Amino acid sequence: MNTHGNVVSAQRTFEDKSERDLITAVQQGDKNAYQRLYQTYIGQVYGLCYRLTSDKSLAEDAAQEVFIQLWRKIGNYKGDSKFSTWLHTVTSNITISYLRKQRGWVKRMFNIEDSEANYYAAEESTDLSELERHVARLPERARIVFVLHAIEGYRHEDIASMMNMAVGSSKAQFHRAKQLLKEWMGYE
Amino acid sequence: MNNTNFEKDLRAQINALSNEKQPERDLWAGIEVALTEETGANQQITKTSSESRFKMIAIAASFALVCVLSWYSLQPATGQITGQDLVAALSSQHEAQKDALLVKFQDQPALTENWQKQLSELDEAADAIKAALKQDPNNIALLKMLQNVHQQQIDLIERVHSPKWRQI
Repeated sequence: MNTHGNVVSAQRTFEDKSERDLITAVQQGDKNAYQRLYQTYIGQVYGLCYRLTSDKSLAEDAAQEVFIQLWRKIGNYKGDSKFSTWLHTVTSNITISYLRKQRGWVKRMFNIEDSEANYYAAEESTDLSELERHVARLPERARIVFVLHAIEGYRHEDIASMMNMAVGSSKAQFHRAKQLLKEWMGYE
Repeated sequence: MNNTNFEKDLRAQINALSNEKQPERDLWAGIEVALTEETGANQQITKTSSESRFKMIAIAASFALVCVLSWYSLQPATGQITGQDLVAALSSQHEAQKDALLVKFQDQPALTENWQKQLSELDEAADAIKAALKQDPNNIALLKMLQNVHQQQIDLIERVHSPKWRQI
């Protein structure tokens, strides 16, 4: 048991070092290393982009935007936190910013038709869970808050800062999202 | 009760979600193109920036030169520095000319015995004029007097060593 623990610990240390080396190479401008980093993290990045946008095409474009901007920003990563955690925050910020640019932020905030369109597209997608289909149907602001708070574990204070809104608004949007999900999941 | 079940169900469904999802198309090709274009653009910006910096330096240097020349030209023609420089240049030139003549005539007998005394008196006169020029470097009359004394020394050396009748 103890030996197994040591092996797991050693393997983790090795993986951490490999990742550190990879990130250092990227920070020095190595594009091959960057492609390896992309291959390692594209699943995580695209997954988050998809949850936030609920639109495959937008999620793909946002994920590309994340990796384009990450190339410029990776010098800012100092190794204080896990790279995946840092990348998660970078992805959230860039995707929210991307959504703002892509369609009028105010329009998207109140346009239920987009959410309905996402819902029907999500309904056709066989690889989505029931919850993911419902989340895709949520109004955009409620969806983003729900994804960031309930699924990704961000505090309302952080979400408010990321989305440039009041903390109370973030909580209200979260409540709204939960009420809608409760209804759609057949609990009301 | 309904609410509790909902919360449990919701939590269970959230926990069951996968953190990763693969895009249906390859995104790397587009990213690579964007990075290449960006690198090219950055190099262009750097090149343009260094060219601009060179132009700016050249313009600044030209402007500084114009300013310095203008400043000097606006100074009085016989300003202290310019006047003293002129005295030093005249003296230096005269000493070189005088030394060359003395070397030239060193083996030649002089026509008069006291020519060196006369030369020395002219030296003293030149020193007195230089002293006066230190006090009043803008004095054109003093500069002309100095030139005149220098010329007298040259004439004296030539006259005592090379009378006109010998030059025929």
